[in-house]
Amino acid sequence: MFKIVAARTVEALIALLLMSIVIFFLSRLTGDPVALLLGDGATEADKIKLTRDLGLDQPIVIQYLTFLGKALTGDFGRSVAAGNQPALQLIMARLPASLSLAGVALAFTMVVGILFGVMAAVRHNSAVDIAARLIALVGQSVPSFWLGIVLMYVFAVQLGWLPTSGYGRWEHYVLPAATLGLFTLAAITRLVRSSMLEALGSEYIKLARVKGLSESVVIWKHALANSLIPVVTFMGTFFAVMITGAVIVETVFSWPGIGRLAYESILARDFPVVQAVVLVITSLFIIANLLVDILYVVIDPRMRSRG
Amino acid sequence: MTKLMNRHVHRTAVSLLAGVALTLSPIMPAWAQADDLIIALSTFSEETMTPWSGSGQRKTYLDVVYEYLTYAEPGTLKTIPGLAESWEMSPDGKAWTFHLRHGVQFSGGYGEMTSADVAYSIERLIRDDSRAGPSSPMRRLIASVETPDDYTVVVKLHFPDFELAQGYFGAAQQLGIVSKAYFDALGETDAEAKPIGTGAYELASINPGSEIVMTLRDDVADHWRVHPEFENIVFKVVPEESTRVAMLRTGEADIAPIGFDSIPTVKEAGLTVVSAEATWSPVVRFGGLVETSDNRYNADNPWAKREVRQALNYAVDKQLIIDELFHGEATVASSDTPVPAWSDVEPYPYDPDKARELLKEAGYENGFDITIKTFTTAPGAELPLMAEAVALFWQDIGVNATIEPVDWPSLRSDWTEGRANDYVWTHRGFPFSSAANGLEAGFMAASVFAAYSTPELETMINDFSNEQDLVEREAKFTAIGQYLRDEAAAVFIALANEPYGISDKVGEWKITTAYMWNFDQVTRAK
Repeated sequence: MFKIVAARTVEALIALLLMSIVIFFLSRLTGDPVALLLGDGATEADKIKLTRDLGLDQPIVIQYLTFLGKALTGDFGRSVAAGNQPALQLIMARLPASLSLAGVALAFTMVVGILFGVMAAVRHNSAVDIAARLIALVGQSVPSFWLGIVLMYVFAVQLGWLPTSGYGRWEHYVLPAATLGLFTLAAITRLVRSSMLEALGSEYIKLARVKGLSESVVIWKHALANSLIPVVTFMGTFFAVMITGAVIVETVFSWPGIGRLAYESILARDFPVVQAVVLVITSLFIIANLLVDILYVVIDPRMRSRG
Repeated sequence: MTKLMNRHVHRTAVSLLAGVALTLSPIMPAWAQADDLIIALSTFSEETMTPWSGSGQRKTYLDVVYEYLTYAEPGTLKTIPGLAESWEMSPDGKAWTFHLRHGVQFSGGYGEMTSADVAYSIERLIRDDSRAGPSSPMRRLIASVETPDDYTVVVKLHFPDFELAQGYFGAAQQLGIVSKAYFDALGETDAEAKPIGTGAYELASINPGSEIVMTLRDDVADHWRVHPEFENIVFKVVPEESTRVAMLRTGEADIAPIGFDSIPTVKEAGLTVVSAEATWSPVVRFGGLVETSDNRYNADNPWAKREVRQALNYAVDKQLIIDELFHGEATVASSDTPVPAWSDVEPYPYDPDKARELLKEAGYENGFDITIKTFTTAPGAELPLMAEAVALFWQDIGVNATIEPVDWPSLRSDWTEGRANDYVWTHRGFPFSSAANGLEAGFMAASVFAAYSTPELETMINDFSNEQDLVEREAKFTAIGQYLRDEAAAVFIALANEPYGISDKVGEWKITTAYMWNFDQVTRAK
């Protein structure tokens, strides 16, 4: 176990370094924030001064090394567009909203996806199976922007059951989590369905039935336990997708997460915030996958024996 | 499959559905915040709280906290007293004296507003590290601020500004008056976190990226200017327009900016639409036309010829664009900026035959290729569609336009790079903060944002800026508008409104422009 964690930590640090290089240079390809920050009637002298004040007159390699040196001490710089606030502070203010939405959406998709997947496998080729496959097809093909608006129209505008948007109450989670989760729900349903079908046809399930175990124990304990291994493998990816892919959902439902912060910072060419957001998201991605690796070892004894 | 399995799966599904139904059934719409005035905005911009720490877009929520030396009378837009009861300008326009209102109190017990607060506010706004929109021209303009007594402020200028009171010092700009004592006591970081002013409201809470709640100050009953009817004003940031419309329909928002396409939907829902009139001007600007600059002029662009620019104006049926894209919420423009003094300048009529004649005259009877760069913004979600319409009209006279969607920051960066660009782009003009400075910003080579300039125009602007006689100034200003129209400095499309949807909770809200926010004067429906 220790070896796995140590190896993954080294890989994570290399990944973060590479990502810092990519995002630093990539974010500068489409101009800088100077033009956006210049007020009406600004002159060339104002432009030169502002460029110097922001440190953008330095060679780009020097800018990167300066950034890297400070980042190693936890200083990701200050926002150039949001009143000179520390970039990390801006992100930390938004992170709880992102994590909680991704958490709720993931829990929702895991519960419903596993249930649908099991039902579809157990009732193979029945109406339930067709419905589950239809949900999977719709979930993976409907754009989240459209789905979000439709859900809002039905459940908030027409039925009045839920708020249209916002953040702060439990009701605010329902529509964005459902919208965000549907794509992953489809993936989980398909995964569980196929691995359950495989498991239900295997020898150990036949043996369990012969031994006289109840059907619920056969399905939910023996068949499902083994079918969940591929789902767990993908959980880290699903969670990261929900954090990084939430920009549209956060925009439609006015959710104050880091996806929208990243999007707004990119538009404002707010380099320090963009860099910090990407590195934070990369870290979350790496941590999630590390946890999955550890979990994988815990639930699959074969992995332990392989070391 | 066994019967046992079927029963088991069926039972599980029924239990889940029942759980969902039970969870949803007792929901009450507690999120509607019925007693508060809820404003859904498309952006909070920098989301900072001092006048100098960001752009003027933050005035939507800051204007209930901070107040200004002068205001504009609703309807007439005539300059009326604010924190300054009166003011006078020296004959040469280089010194202004403001006489402050007595007895105006800052919230939080920080005492009476005096000249020291006004001087501090001005000096802080123009400091080098200020991020306020007009800080750089104000820094060049203002030489010194003197306070001969507690109620008098004398502002000396490096060069004349005949419109300082209604311009940079007016409510449409960013000189909100802060308490010097408060900043001295708390320091800038803490004071920024909990802003106070002389306005009727103070900050109650802020949820970054989500909402800002302003609450009435304790001593509001004695407020000199307004008598608000709402205890709290909740500002919510809702970037998606269809969500703002949905919020209006469900009562989750009381006032929200909406797009032109949403006007029928909002009206059909029984809600009201009010518009700030002629607040922005959709326009097509030409690249490489700053003739007075060495590197921003390209004589090889077809539109370097005046006849071509005029032809491109005659070719576009602007009224049709207004009817279709702006739902009639605009008028045909003769300029790139909503300026009342230019309202008598005749717009270009739709005349494709005349356009073809002019192209022939300029040597382009077979047309030419042109690139239109376009982007969306707020207001200005219609700009890409407008670009498509303009391209179709130009195609009719033989000009082949290619539309290139870009994002605004890239275009703005390209615009200020100091190059002679070989494309045209959709843009939006806003009213000038002061006529002289607006003209300098838009039409003189010294400004990085100049899109059109000629030696003749720069002479006209200099003459206007130095003119002390008010009647002569007005005449010279009008002549500049006529010159810009005749030279076809841009393809002028429309002077557009900014529509807002209003819920049933709101009684009266008199919006006059989109630059002076008076949410503290919104009344409750009876």
